[in-house]
Amino acid sequence: MFETKEMGKRFDAVVALNGASLKAYPGEIRALLGSNGSGKSTMIKILAGVYGPDSGEISVDGKVVSIGSGTASRQHGIATAFQELSLIPTMSVLDNLMLGSEPKGKFGMVDRAEARQKVQALLDRFGIDCDMDAYIQTLMPSTQTMLEVAKAVSQKPRLLLLDEVTAPLYHDEIQVLFRIVRELKADGVSIIYVTHRMSEIFELCDQVTIMRSGETVKEASTNEIDLDEIVFHMTGQYPEAHAEKEVAGDSGEPTGREVLLDVRNLAIFPSVWDVNMKAYKGEIIGIAGLQGQGQPEFIRSLLGAAQITGGSVQFDGKKLDFKSPVDAVNGGVGFVSGDRKREAVFPVRSISENISAGKIASGQLGAYMTGKFIKEFSSGAVEKYNIKIGRLENPASSLSGGNQQKLVIARWIAMNPTLLLLDDPTKGVDVHSRREIHKILQECAAGGMTVIISSSEYEELFGIADRIYVFFEGRVSDMLAGARKTDELLVAAMMGMTGQNKDGEAM
Amino acid sequence: MAQVRESFSRFRRTPAFTGFVLFTFALTLNVILQGPANFFSPNSLGILFSSNMPFLIIVIAQGVLLMSGTMDISIGIQLALVNVVTIMTVQEWGLSFVMGSLFGVAAAIVASVVLWVLISVIRLPDLLAGFAMTYVIRGVNVFIMNIPQGTVARPFWQAYSSLLLGFIPASIIALAVVLAIWAYLKRTPFGTHVYAVGANPQNAFAAGISPVKVQLQAFMIKGLFTGIAGICLTLMTASGNPLQAEDWGLRSLAAAIIGGFTFGGWGTIACAVFGAGFLVMIQNSVYFLFNWLANVIPGLMVTSFWHNFIADSIIFLGLLTTIITVRGQREALRINLEKKYMKRGESIA
Repeated sequence: MFETKEMGKRFDAVVALNGASLKAYPGEIRALLGSNGSGKSTMIKILAGVYGPDSGEISVDGKVVSIGSGTASRQHGIATAFQELSLIPTMSVLDNLMLGSEPKGKFGMVDRAEARQKVQALLDRFGIDCDMDAYIQTLMPSTQTMLEVAKAVSQKPRLLLLDEVTAPLYHDEIQVLFRIVRELKADGVSIIYVTHRMSEIFELCDQVTIMRSGETVKEASTNEIDLDEIVFHMTGQYPEAHAEKEVAGDSGEPTGREVLLDVRNLAIFPSVWDVNMKAYKGEIIGIAGLQGQGQPEFIRSLLGAAQITGGSVQFDGKKLDFKSPVDAVNGGVGFVSGDRKREAVFPVRSISENISAGKIASGQLGAYMTGKFIKEFSSGAVEKYNIKIGRLENPASSLSGGNQQKLVIARWIAMNPTLLLLDDPTKGVDVHSRREIHKILQECAAGGMTVIISSSEYEELFGIADRIYVFFEGRVSDMLAGARKTDELLVAAMMGMTGQNKDGEAM
Repeated sequence: MAQVRESFSRFRRTPAFTGFVLFTFALTLNVILQGPANFFSPNSLGILFSSNMPFLIIVIAQGVLLMSGTMDISIGIQLALVNVVTIMTVQEWGLSFVMGSLFGVAAAIVASVVLWVLISVIRLPDLLAGFAMTYVIRGVNVFIMNIPQGTVARPFWQAYSSLLLGFIPASIIALAVVLAIWAYLKRTPFGTHVYAVGANPQNAFAAGISPVKVQLQAFMIKGLFTGIAGICLTLMTASGNPLQAEDWGLRSLAAAIIGGFTFGGWGTIACAVFGAGFLVMIQNSVYFLFNWLANVIPGLMVTSFWHNFIADSIIFLGLLTTIITVRGQREALRINLEKKYMKRGESIA
């Protein structure tokens, strides 16, 4: 059996695992559940050898082992099918499935005939209809995911980790997958199954392990636990999908205000399928949902950074037609990313440069700005938004995460956008800075700015958002406003337990 | 017919497709401007192959590195290194030409391994490391041979530029050796690992492949091929020159990209052949174009700078074409996938 105990893992200030544990017995399918930031992905990646844990121990058959690399993970009999896929898109199906375990032939060459035979057998077993010489990138996402699972199974693992593999799959492929997982279970393989589709747990799994905030909060057999209880352990709330309280006349949409953004049937291949949303001037719209339900792609499409493949977006009365973020910024859109390092802060440049970066970019190329202007401008912003800094000349990397984020928000507000987009802006930000960021956003909205804020921690949306759109598998599963802004309804919507998505089917 | 169409559409998806189209275009141009009878005469084909063989082989060598996700712009000056080592070991130590050549090849492999240490182990940016190496090797070359000098025994260089059976250029043997080595390597695990490492080192590592080791192999193979190219160059010029072929480093990179390589994990040896062929054919075409113009317009005199200007402009256009086509292919792929996905979704709903 495989066991992890007292696992700890930090990423900078964010605690991903805080004493979590997980057991996997032979011949058992165990669902590993948790909402955003619960640490389940981190746990999977530690077992797969992608991350090393900071503390805790992993044991195989009672012996303590260390898993420092993908190779070590394989050697202990662990195989993983990753949600983000470990296939190499520019290589053929054959080469991908055999990568690292090519059958040996004469003179150190690969036995092509045997490799083809093995791969064909694998494709047949998984019912995958594809040319084994085709490049992975020419195949549909669902086929790619099936191949990812096939690759993991082909390693004949003792522990198979499946990380949200069903999301891109079609109904018939899921049935094939379930059949194979059950076959493996009969052969005595341990399977850890990560999913956000509640229906699959009861259909497939024997045991559930539920994680929350980096800790393991519940272990139970699927016979002795029900859906509401699972959701309760995941989120701390009981869902209320079935007793939907419609509050008459309260769609939550403000009257007497102008519509700024009107999104209809928006699709962004392959993550967003059908999103409808209206945002009014001076409104704060919250976007909630589990991770990877299409929220980042949706926000980036409004910014011209992700290509819209279907539906329409009206922005300020005109068709939204931003080819790049430059167009969007000139059109009055601001964007604050939660991924400060990659999309927001210039870490080695000074604080004042960081604050005035937007202002500089919005001017004409070669427009002259005096040092005095920049200094006054940035010290004004620092004071106004209460950013804790040493000196304006210090590099932005000298600030704490929360202050860096305030700096980025200050940069954008200085440009006075009509629409401010925030993608998980408070990730890894301390409570105090978070409260201040909320205050800044509320002031902006009061001034007529429309704010769309996505957050992985849904509790914060209750505090600031007028209306909350909940994403599930690339669709809006519910819109909460007024009296319907309750934990129970939000949790139900996040789990896809509403309307046509009640049973968690994507198609 | 359907089968032909099927294999054509498969070929269109391979990396070599744009390189093939560009090469065919340049070849046709060259044949027309030179005159088919002239172009296809055994003698002129013999010269075409013997004088361009070193370049063709180093484009292949550069291609092997690009597959593994790195590159070597000092590959040009390494040809001169092979050249001076071969000539000087023969001249100073009295070795036979064959023995001298082995030293030359060994020198190229050593230079490649040094670069591997800089790029894969110490992780210097590959362009920078290659640039620095260019100057180091220049110094080494001049240290070994201060001024152009030396000769190759007549039978060797004569054999190189001879025609086997009266019509097969002997220099093709060098290409055949290189292709045979690659044909073997392609069938070993290295043949797929090199692509995995080039495209995504993390995933390759997760699959139990050591990217550093695979890159070492790639560098050594590149060194071997560079050595063979350097011997061709020595046979072609029949003398030593410590400072030749330096700009071939960047040219080989350009040829590889035109042929369809990207920086990491995409591209085949066919890409290298087509890319190198395109460059050579364009240079020839421009030469013959100016010859023809000089006949038509009496008194027209142009310097070789104009030749280079026109030829390199066309090569630049070729480079653009490849990059735009690759982008177009990617977009077409996405749209196609999306359609399939939607269709399948509807058929189930």
